[in-house]
Amino acid sequence: MNFSRYKREISAAGAFVAILIVLAIVAPSFFSAGNLRDLLINNAPTLLIAVGMTMVILVGEIDISVGSQFAVCSIAAGFLAKTGMPMPVLFLSIFLVGAMMGSLNGVLVGWLRLPSIIVTLAMLVLWRDALRWLTEGAWVQNLPENFQWFGLSQSGGELTIVAITLTIFVAFAWTLRNLVAGRKIYAVGSDAEAARLAGISGPTVVLSVFALMGALTGIAALMNAVRFSEIPGNSGVGLELKAIAAVVVGGAAITGGRGTLVGTLIGVALLGTIGTALTFLGINPFWEKAIQGAIILIALVSDVALGRLEKNGRSNIAGAAA
Amino acid sequence: MTGQTPLLTAERVTKSYAGVQALRDASFELRGGEVHALVGENGAGKSTFIKIVTGAVTPDSGELTVNGDLVRENSPAISKSLGIAAIYQQPALFPELTVAENIAIGLERKGFFGFVNWNERRRAAKELLDRVGAKIDPETPAGELSMPQQQLVEIARALGANAKILIFDEPTASLSEEDTQNLFRVIRELRSQGVGMIYISHRLEELPVIADRVTVLRDGLTIGTKVMAEVSSEELIKLMVGRELSAVFPKRVVEIGETIFELKNLGSRAVGIKNINLSVRAGEIVGVAGLIGAGRTELAKAIFGIVESDAGEILLRGKPMHFGHPSEAIDVGIAYLPEDRRKHGVVLDFPISANITLASLKKLSGFKGMNFGKEKEIAAEYTRRLGVKTPTIHNAVSTLSGGNQQKVALSRWLMTKPSVLILDEPTQGIDVGAKSEIHSLMMEIAEQGVAILMISSELPEILGMSDRIAVMRGGTIAKVFDRSEATQDKILAVALGH
Amino acid sequence: MEEVISPERPLSTEQSLRERLFPNNEWILLIVLIAECLIFSVTGSNFATSGNAFEITRLAVEIGLLALVMTPIIITGGIDLSVGSMMGLSAVVMGSLWRDGGVSMPVAIAITLFVGLAGGALNAAMITKLKAPPLIVTLGTFSLFRGIAEGLTRGIENYSGFSPTFLSLGQGYVFGFIPTQLFIFVPAIIAVWWWLHRTAFGRSFYAVGFSQEGSRYAGIKVRRRLNFVYCLSGLTAALAAVIYVAHLGQAKSDAGTGYELTAITAVVLGGASIFGGRGTVLGTVLGLFAIVILQNGLRLSGQPAELAGILTGVLLVVTILLDRLSRASVAKPKAASEEEFEVKNWQVGVLSGVIVAAALIVAGSNWLLVRSIKEERGSAAPTAAANTNSPAPGKKSVIAMMPKAKGDPYFISCRKGAEEAAKELGAELLWDGPTDLDPAKQNEVVEAWITRGVDVIAVSVENKEGISTVLRKAKEKGIKVVTWDADAEKDARDFLINQATPQGIGETLMDETARIMGGKGEFAIITASLSAANQNEWIKHIKQRLESKYPEMKLVTIQPSDGDRDRAFQETQNVLKVYPNVKVVMGIAAPAVPGIAEAVKQANRSDVKVTGLSLPNMCKPYIKAGIIDSIVLWNTGDLGFLTVFTANSLANGTFKPGDKSVKAGRLGEIEVVGDEVRLGKPFIFNKENVDQFDF
Repeated sequence: MNFSRYKREISAAGAFVAILIVLAIVAPSFFSAGNLRDLLINNAPTLLIAVGMTMVILVGEIDISVGSQFAVCSIAAGFLAKTGMPMPVLFLSIFLVGAMMGSLNGVLVGWLRLPSIIVTLAMLVLWRDALRWLTEGAWVQNLPENFQWFGLSQSGGELTIVAITLTIFVAFAWTLRNLVAGRKIYAVGSDAEAARLAGISGPTVVLSVFALMGALTGIAALMNAVRFSEIPGNSGVGLELKAIAAVVVGGAAITGGRGTLVGTLIGVALLGTIGTALTFLGINPFWEKAIQGAIILIALVSDVALGRLEKNGRSNIAGAAA
Repeated sequence: MTGQTPLLTAERVTKSYAGVQALRDASFELRGGEVHALVGENGAGKSTFIKIVTGAVTPDSGELTVNGDLVRENSPAISKSLGIAAIYQQPALFPELTVAENIAIGLERKGFFGFVNWNERRRAAKELLDRVGAKIDPETPAGELSMPQQQLVEIARALGANAKILIFDEPTASLSEEDTQNLFRVIRELRSQGVGMIYISHRLEELPVIADRVTVLRDGLTIGTKVMAEVSSEELIKLMVGRELSAVFPKRVVEIGETIFELKNLGSRAVGIKNINLSVRAGEIVGVAGLIGAGRTELAKAIFGIVESDAGEILLRGKPMHFGHPSEAIDVGIAYLPEDRRKHGVVLDFPISANITLASLKKLSGFKGMNFGKEKEIAAEYTRRLGVKTPTIHNAVSTLSGGNQQKVALSRWLMTKPSVLILDEPTQGIDVGAKSEIHSLMMEIAEQGVAILMISSELPEILGMSDRIAVMRGGTIAKVFDRSEATQDKILAVALGH
Repeated sequence: MEEVISPERPLSTEQSLRERLFPNNEWILLIVLIAECLIFSVTGSNFATSGNAFEITRLAVEIGLLALVMTPIIITGGIDLSVGSMMGLSAVVMGSLWRDGGVSMPVAIAITLFVGLAGGALNAAMITKLKAPPLIVTLGTFSLFRGIAEGLTRGIENYSGFSPTFLSLGQGYVFGFIPTQLFIFVPAIIAVWWWLHRTAFGRSFYAVGFSQEGSRYAGIKVRRRLNFVYCLSGLTAALAAVIYVAHLGQAKSDAGTGYELTAITAVVLGGASIFGGRGTVLGTVLGLFAIVILQNGLRLSGQPAELAGILTGVLLVVTILLDRLSRASVAKPKAASEEEFEVKNWQVGVLSGVIVAAALIVAGSNWLLVRSIKEERGSAAPTAAANTNSPAPGKKSVIAMMPKAKGDPYFISCRKGAEEAAKELGAELLWDGPTDLDPAKQNEVVEAWITRGVDVIAVSVENKEGISTVLRKAKEKGIKVVTWDADAEKDARDFLINQATPQGIGETLMDETARIMGGKGEFAIITASLSAANQNEWIKHIKQRLESKYPEMKLVTIQPSDGDRDRAFQETQNVLKVYPNVKVVMGIAAPAVPGIAEAVKQANRSDVKVTGLSLPNMCKPYIKAGIIDSIVLWNTGDLGFLTVFTANSLANGTFKPGDKSVKAGRLGEIEVVGDEVRLGKPFIFNKENVDQFDF
């Protein structure tokens, strides 16, 4: 195993472990089973979205419209549940609604080659305002009994959410590493032109990745919605930045081609723990945003510091190649 | 091996882009076990032809057969499955992925849900790399390899794909002599295995060494196919340009003045050069030869302030100088035409006029802002003087051919009125006509009393143009020859360290 | 293209006017802008007046300044997401220096500008020294700056009471009709235009945008250029913050939230390429006004403001698509990426299919959803948009009513009552407001109403100082002004429709909590966002009551929920674990209470009760399950109903200052104390009575 290639993941994990150690000393109650379970469940939707975001960033694109897609999917889930749709069908439908919105981004970015940041900026505004216009911010209430926790008990439902999330995570992590489809994502992100010459259709890969991003957003929205008995009209604000931050902290390069889902998992864990950790440590919650920002910047600094060490070792070769 | 059926034939292939004819009824034939050179000026249609063969471009009309079978539909994937592989001048590798994966992506034919066997990938990569004689760890990310190493990885990939038809597009353009010889060794071995190769190069002198037949393209037409042994370089050039070139190098005697520029023990640890001692006089052209990695471009970068020099000194007319940034070098009259034209030499998306004035913006700015009238005037003047072929100075440089781009890049530096001009591979990858125009320009510049330092990997160019020749090896100058005593063999011997 | 290159053809050095003025097809935008103006001068009331033109430019200044400096950043191929957050930080720094630091205003402004410069320098250093991508760097500082602003003020501090001289910078007029800030904005436009388009210095930024390496080889100091633009961006954000504070009369950590995205949208609409090298100041200004006029025009036409967002999104995609297509068709054969762009027929087919299917599914599901929601509401309520288009209003009075945030369920329930009253009275009701909590938006809407000319303006005030200026202006123009739910300054309105005083709310909440707990033990509060003014006022009264009446009770923590149910849920989970002795969790934001209840329910903590301020419908299941003991609120529908009745009576003269009561339809005679119309005491909803209410 070549560890030097995963140094960003390792350093992020180091920071996470450091926080855990501080918590273990100062607030051991953080490690109660109940708290860990709650953390897991609360961060499950973010993790799902971050999985999609990792792939989007791996192909060298970005999606800042996921928060708005999340809101649309949540509301759609509530509405569909009220029609009495059985849970498995509902699951599939929301998956499709999300995939549709993702595909729209994918078509514009992949096939029409429009810059993803602009396309998804437009979609961010468009979906959010369309939803506001149509629903006027109303909550979906009086959901059927079997909506919350998929109609299971609370503990059963929680188990289901964690199981689904982890299954999806493991499946994607395995696919990215071990299936041709996953390696194509890396290839396109690493060098789109080289990928084309190798017979890989970049537009199709980009389209698929955005469609998956949308589908995962749909599932995440559903996972979030079933935890409650009502659905607010305006969820998911700022979710995109949370996901992007987690992916970047986890070591993915925003230029594409580099990054792993394990890193993303660490990123989600690190950023997702901060808020709770602050409460447990008795620190003022007002500083949470500042600390999250600082973590992103520190990740960048460490990235460069680590990169420099390595570059000095091979500057001659690089110089000759240039 | 394959008997009389040619590996590849192209019949009356035509392709036009938005009204411009890139190929007109071009025909070509490649047999198994031959190296077939394809030559022609830039814009003659070589790239288009290659793109059609590899399926990147669909021709308007014409037929392509592989192994005698008509190719009805083509795409990069289809051509790959037909055993066609191309190795480009700029290797098309994935910098973030490992060598093993880079090789595997080219040869594994698995569906979207195919499973990746990492151990098998490593083993296969190792085997293929051994076949091309490359000592590279398959676990290294490709981005960390040098250019020749990357090229070898590409060849290994093509071998792995059992490619029967290999296309080399200017493979030696940025290779050192040593790496070139290694490449030729690999090519000969492949030839003996019955692989057919299309070999594109501007370096006519290497064709007799490696090619069996040669086809000349001009203005999208195939002018003719000859057996390499029966045709001389001069004849080839004549076929390519359609006219006879009076002299290959327009070297004239120029009155050589005082020493303008001197390097004393110059060194830079950052790029691995040391103890450089060299002087250039007014009107003199000093050639810098050496293998890739000998430190030639690095020397230019250290002089020009692109990398910091940390030892010795640079003297300009006897005054010591230190440049922390190119702008400081420009201010005192040093100009550097960089090696990588598209990346450093010009700003591709910028208009011709803005490119020409980019290094002299200070001269154009006054109290009332920038003088746009003067810019137009100057840009037009240089465009005419250097014969840049363009309808308007407002076109983006990316619309020009390589040779014309190089002329724009050179115009930029002439506008700064330099006293020292460093040229780094000034004619690399540009067609024969433009090449000779640039050589003439160099003489004109020298005649005006400019000190010229010319880095080149083309020994004929070095020998043809230089007054003195400095040969670099291992980051320093190993020997300086006078024009009269230098020969190709001597230079090569010093460069290789024999 | 027919350009066969021949040396004989004379070399052209001239460019057509279109190429020079609109190098990036900005003329498309100009057409859009003209179309907008034409349409709105027909549909909008008083749209095409010089007064409105000046107001539009006033509203455009803060975002305009950000967009102006975003232009060179995007030209260099970068981006700056941190400008909105920097506005928040700058506002807070200026406010605290002036109020707490005892520094004079000019010095405070100077230090603030310096802070902006320092923030920009941080971005610049990360980008040029570490060579980190600007998107990620500024994403980090986006969080960092806003976080510091919130941390410094604990999110609560709201600096206000600035001197009139300072406020005139954002609210005053020069020569009686030109908004003051235009004297900063217009020179800024000219300066940036001169710099980018008329100087050699500006030219170098384009070169940097196309190729950083190439520019360095041509002797351009790339790092210095980048340092310059990012520092300038920080500085400009601080300047925008100063104007923003003067404009609104308050400095809070939430200043400029989301402005970065609007600024980027304006620049990209204006033809700038996100990859660098392309973009013009003219384009940015056109883009800015295309957005601002769209918002203003829709408002004056009585259309919902959300349409502006939808149209902007569509416009953005369409302009870059057109730009992409036009470039693709012009591209020369040599351009490397040209043949990449071959959309085959089947692709076009699938593409259209996907777009249509996606649009249909999403629109369809939402339409059905809306229909179901409307049915639930009783579907009697006419929409505001439908009303405004009815011809010849005759003597109908036009009542413009604004909530703090349109999407807030609390205000949605108020609207129902308001619409009921409007229908009963035959009055025309305009219901508009910010789509989220943006204090600047309220001013914008009131300005539009003044321009449009309405009879009464009724506002639920988000920020007192800021809105009072425009309300006074409305009064001067003869428009009756009432406030409801939350008050403005007394002289800025005729009446306040008071549902309950902050003191009443705070004390009732505290008393309820004490009753549930039996007067002793620990409790916690989940509030809305940390900077919400109403909530902070209530907390003040809760604390006072706690101190004076309940010495055995202890408030252990106050956690924010950002008015988000899920966040409230998560915070409650933490609170329950960290403070296991908490007996009651009080939620003082409507969406927070169900979140708290759900968390308590899922934690199986039957020993913990929930109370707070919320809507009955939202909490009904939890109240019935006994998790929420009680909630405190007034009848929100009645509040809306009363507001419209009072407003209507004011408009037709049947109710005037000095009267002791006002007739309010089914509510009967309502008591008036001084200039306050009192709805009554806060109401306590519990298991027994909650089924009687539907809002």
